[in-house]
Amino acid sequence: MIGAAELWLLLAWGTIVAVDLVSMPQALLARPLVAATVAGAIAGDAGAGLAVGLLVELFALDVLPVGAARYPDYGPGTVGAVLVVAHHPAPVLWMGVAVGLALVVALSGAASMQWLRHRIARDVQAHAGQLAAGDGAAIRMLHLTSIGRDAVRGLALTVVALLLALLLRGMGPLDELTGTLLTVVAAGAGLAAVIRGAARSAGRGARFRWLAAGASAGVLLSVLL
Amino acid sequence: MRAAWWRLFSLQGSWNYDRMIGVGMGFAAKPLLEELRHASPERHAEAVARSAEFFNSHPYLAGLALGAVTRAEYDQVPGEQILRLRNALCSPLGALGDQLFWAGLLPAVIGSALAGVALGAGWPAVLVAVVCFTAVRCYVSDWALRRGLATGMTVGRAIADSRLRRAIAVAGIGASLLVGLAIPLVATRLAVGLTTRHVALMLLVAAVGLLLGKVAGTRYSSPRFALVALAVVLLIRWITP
Repeated sequence: MIGAAELWLLLAWGTIVAVDLVSMPQALLARPLVAATVAGAIAGDAGAGLAVGLLVELFALDVLPVGAARYPDYGPGTVGAVLVVAHHPAPVLWMGVAVGLALVVALSGAASMQWLRHRIARDVQAHAGQLAAGDGAAIRMLHLTSIGRDAVRGLALTVVALLLALLLRGMGPLDELTGTLLTVVAAGAGLAAVIRGAARSAGRGARFRWLAAGASAGVLLSVLL
Repeated sequence: MRAAWWRLFSLQGSWNYDRMIGVGMGFAAKPLLEELRHASPERHAEAVARSAEFFNSHPYLAGLALGAVTRAEYDQVPGEQILRLRNALCSPLGALGDQLFWAGLLPAVIGSALAGVALGAGWPAVLVAVVCFTAVRCYVSDWALRRGLATGMTVGRAIADSRLRRAIAVAGIGASLLVGLAIPLVATRLAVGLTTRHVALMLLVAAVGLLLGKVAGTRYSSPRFALVALAVVLLIRWITP
């Protein structure tokens, strides 16, 4: 079962992965596969974590997180998605719903990131005089305050994700056909995302041939194992 | 130097549309410029102000610029030249870092982790991916800062002579190969327990997503497509319970 201690730990973990996305330390913690694996361990259901991470990661591989680009923040939503299916008697039926939650929160995370970047820009403009004078204390204050704001953003996103997850867990049972269809559709959309991202990154040159070689090996392994 | 290296891990903490990672660079430069404070207080204030000016590059390679600019400040290079060097380094460091990490190493390690999990390796596959990525990232950040500090205004030549180009080629091949390997393995794992009809539906949804992505180009969003598809399922099941 998931108790208050696990919920607090999930809240802390969701905040950490949100901060990891851009602010610090950018150590892959924000990747859905990593965020979900740890969230699964916290919730005491490692299998659920890996299953959610595997599926949501497919969407994240369609993203090139370059500087000013607007990209989803998958971490907190993935933590919430793990809470949806952890210890569930029929986790596969709820996987599609869990992925839906992760995606909604991820898109909200992208919007919150834009808001934060504008907010920091206003702070920087307000302290332009001190920065021009070479005031090291002002630089330090601006930088640390910005990281603090990102942590608050991550905390808020995780609170939303966990509340939605608890709401979904409290809902009545999902009928088998609807649950299966939602999971199948989420998996199909995830496959589209990862194939699209891989093809775009590979282009049409030598890398495409390596992609094809890898895919062929994957098909062969799938058949053999 | 160790303090500056640690601070490189939070370089993007104050990312904004005004100076991008400029303030983060200023924060990381502070420990490196401390000696200048005693040697030349006036120059120190100017150097600190320059260190927080607009800057944008890949965060893992920004150490090259940080080191080079710091060395130039100690070498008493004129301020305008230092700012020109900073601006000149933005694009190449951004492009090299994006290719090496975001389009190379990151998909490579995530692809290997996905393949490992799909094959039943479990959480150790994820742990190995995180450790490998972090080890390379730490090494590159350390190399970049040291190289920048050693070369100063000639950092451009140091970048050209480095093994970055070769590393980008290898990482790109690894990314394509490993993500390619992971896709069928993950698809097979997702299909476990599903009927043939459900597998066909999964592949149909994937095909529709790819087709829409082709037609809509950059306007296409994978999460939005997934959410619309999930909403369609709920709508159909509501109409035909």
